[in-house]
Amino acid sequence: MKNSFDEKVLEEAKDWISLDRKVVLATVIQTWGSSPRPIGSRMIINDKGDFSGSVSGGCVETAVVRECLGLIKENKKFKKIEFRVSDESAWEIGLACGGEIALFLEQIT
Amino acid sequence: MKIDLLTEIIKKKEKKIEFAIITNIENGESCIFEKNKNINKNFEKYLDKINLLYEKKINGLIQDTNIFIENYIRPIKVIIVGAVHIAQYLVDFAKNLNFEISIIDPRGYFATEQRFPGINVINKWPNEALNEIKPDKNSALIALTHDPKIDDPALQFAIKNSFFYIGALGSKKTHANRCQRLKDAGFKDIDINKIYGPIGIKLGGRAAPEIALSIISQLVLEVYKRQ
Repeated sequence: MKNSFDEKVLEEAKDWISLDRKVVLATVIQTWGSSPRPIGSRMIINDKGDFSGSVSGGCVETAVVRECLGLIKENKKFKKIEFRVSDESAWEIGLACGGEIALFLEQIT
Repeated sequence: MKIDLLTEIIKKKEKKIEFAIITNIENGESCIFEKNKNINKNFEKYLDKINLLYEKKINGLIQDTNIFIENYIRPIKVIIVGAVHIAQYLVDFAKNLNFEISIIDPRGYFATEQRFPGINVINKWPNEALNEIKPDKNSALIALTHDPKIDDPALQFAIKNSFFYIGALGSKKTHANRCQRLKDAGFKDIDINKIYGPIGIKLGGRAAPEIALSIISQLVLEVYKRQ
């Protein structure tokens, strides 16, 4: 028995695109330890810096927005990023929960 | 991801079709996978492994590859009998949890679009309405009228069709009478005992939104118990 607890971010992405915004989709593709959101969790970011959905419990979203804005600026199609506790940037954007996650960022083109 | 693919995904979700999104994270290419349908040729060599994860509804990278699979599962059908006050709050909770909701009530004053905007409200008797909804084992029944002539036929239908969750509103006494009626109608104890009655987890509240919360909590609990 499974239900799709769907957060409708893809529908929202479509709405943003119809308003001529550039949109990046961020998806949790791997997790280790006690990461708060499961694989498949999604977040969307547009070129204004608006975001919706989540890939963690608020721990790394700011950094993800920054990465996605960079992707749009450099006009790159996709990128894989990881957040680990051991990162040098852990103080700022590390996962307080002790988990680690890998994200796939992709522009909707 | 291409816009066309995004549009296609949203369409499939609206039509409640089960599928998966397959992404090659090495080159950014993605496509839709549907059981027994042709897959984009660039993904053909992973088909066996994709099928395996699809059957098990597991999201993630296929081992030793750069292929990511995300499954879209058809939502659970929640059928509410009784377009009553509690149902109005249930609908709000259920929407955020992505359940697919239908409401049945033969009473015209209850079953109105004005009371349940945007919801599939069927102003018919349960047997006729349930045949229209075409429920399956992935369905849940929430009986709220505590009127035997409306609730009972729906409960009987749900038992016969092995709904994964069946709950009925009413006091312990009401529920005992209900069980006796089902027994008299020839239903076995083992099936009658599957009905959650009085419905809901004991939270203590008696207000309509509180009862709705207790019912929806029980439903979510049952979903996870069976995984």
